[in-house]
Amino acid sequence: MMSDEKLYDLEQLNAIAAGNEDFVIKMVNMFLEMTPGLVGRIEAGLQTQDWPEVRSAAHKMKPSVDMMGVKSLHDVVRSIEVNAKTETNLEQIPELYFKLSDTLENVYEQLRNR
Amino acid sequence: MTDNFSVFVVEDDEFYSEVLEYHLSLNPDITVTKFTNAKEFLNNLDKNPDAVTLDYSLPDMSGEEVLKKIKEYNSEIPVVMISGQENIKTAITLLKDGAYDYIVKDEDTKDRIWNAIRNIREKEGLKKEISELKQQVKKKYDFTSSIIGNSPSMKKVFAMIEKAVKSNITVSITGETGTGKEIVAKSIHYNSPRGKKPFVAVNITAIPSELIESELFGHEKGAFTGASARRIGKFEEAGEGTIFLDEIGEMDINMQSKLLRVLQERELTRVGGSGLVKVKCRVLSATHKDMAEEVRKGNFREDLYYRLLGLPITLPPLRERGNDTLVLAKYFIDEYAEENDMGKLKLSSKAQNKLFKYPWPGNIRELKAVVELCCVMTDSDIVEDEHITFNSTGSIDTLLQNEMSLEEYKNRIVKHYLDKYSNDVVNVAKRLDIGKSTIYRMLQERLV
Repeated sequence: MMSDEKLYDLEQLNAIAAGNEDFVIKMVNMFLEMTPGLVGRIEAGLQTQDWPEVRSAAHKMKPSVDMMGVKSLHDVVRSIEVNAKTETNLEQIPELYFKLSDTLENVYEQLRNR
Repeated sequence: MTDNFSVFVVEDDEFYSEVLEYHLSLNPDITVTKFTNAKEFLNNLDKNPDAVTLDYSLPDMSGEEVLKKIKEYNSEIPVVMISGQENIKTAITLLKDGAYDYIVKDEDTKDRIWNAIRNIREKEGLKKEISELKQQVKKKYDFTSSIIGNSPSMKKVFAMIEKAVKSNITVSITGETGTGKEIVAKSIHYNSPRGKKPFVAVNITAIPSELIESELFGHEKGAFTGASARRIGKFEEAGEGTIFLDEIGEMDINMQSKLLRVLQERELTRVGGSGLVKVKCRVLSATHKDMAEEVRKGNFREDLYYRLLGLPITLPPLRERGNDTLVLAKYFIDEYAEENDMGKLKLSSKAQNKLFKYPWPGNIRELKAVVELCCVMTDSDIVEDEHITFNSTGSIDTLLQNEMSLEEYKNRIVKHYLDKYSNDVVNVAKRLDIGKSTIYRMLQERLV
């Protein structure tokens, strides 16, 4: 599923970088390296119903997703974290997870071709 | 504030700590060190960061626990707690436990951290300045640091000063010139409950006798030729503080009776005036004279002597203070070296011996001058005996006070000249108009 819509927004990152493009590149690369691992941890946690693991991985994902300006995932990551933490509405998590991983695949693609 | 400011960022989320580091490092004064877990951070706490940003949920320890450990190590280190989610209860607990601030990770976090760090830097700067100033004030007025010495005679003096500080009694200070009478008077004043009120020192010998009355008690306009305006005297100037009458033994007998009346009545009349002014100040006096002797000779009124005596403090001359000479010499050397941005200076053992043996007629004042001169004279970080020169006025009176035999005086004089002219026997013999052989004989017999 490819989308033409731009899924990320580096405005905040650029604001922090204050003109330092190297820093922007560094952070984008870091995002690209780190995030698949976290997604993997959520997937694994889902399979074993290890909710603390799901919560922890979602929690760690928040700052980077926010910083990359992936607005469509802002609430998604938080819902996964809260549901896993409180162990309520657990049945919603798989759907949220698919939305998360699909969107991120597109974000990776867009960021690489930025 | 241009000093380097070290911030420890403790954060297990690498992405986030990278952003924090970059953001804080935009200020060139700030050095950021990152830690990803509590253990590693706590092991480096002895590097004394100026501030810490601490992630609440670290993998190996809870935020509360880490905060506690930091505060146990040094409660002064400001800690900014950063949390993934807002939790009022946690926030309150953390702030109670001594956290400087509690910040939730969101879009504004970096600005809030930036502000928090800026406030911490300002606060720390002010704190440092205040503690330095406090230290200075304390040092200046604390008599245990402004008056130095460990000799038994000085310990007695310290005990007397403490008594004088606690009570409101009149104090008379005696001691040879240069023994520190005024410093003792100041210490008594500044450590007493009057310490915040004025301290007014009057040196009786420094004021012509015809002016002393108006100097002490003030005068009204036109009281005498040249009195073009009303002027308050030193007693009024001192208010509820302390007046220090130095060299009281030199006061002429006429003035003595006027002073006595003022001290008895606790009120004065300005010269040329008629109204009475209440005297509320404490009176400290000092002299280098033997006042009992002056009273016997009729130079000083007995009734005024007893009025002023109060608690008598006698300052021992330096030559009777044993090792204090060297303690003071080292103190003055350090002080001089610090004031002049020199490195540490040391006294060679020969130099110490030379200082130790000298009788110091000018006491501490002379010691200070001699020591400062030798600091200038030395070219290395060691003061040798040849750098020490005594320029004592060598007042014959002080020499005679030693009550030595004529033979001993003779030896002293020859030794003095030999020291002065670097053991040039020919020169000394010529100056003293004695034979060279006499000096050689004295040297041989180790009399000089």
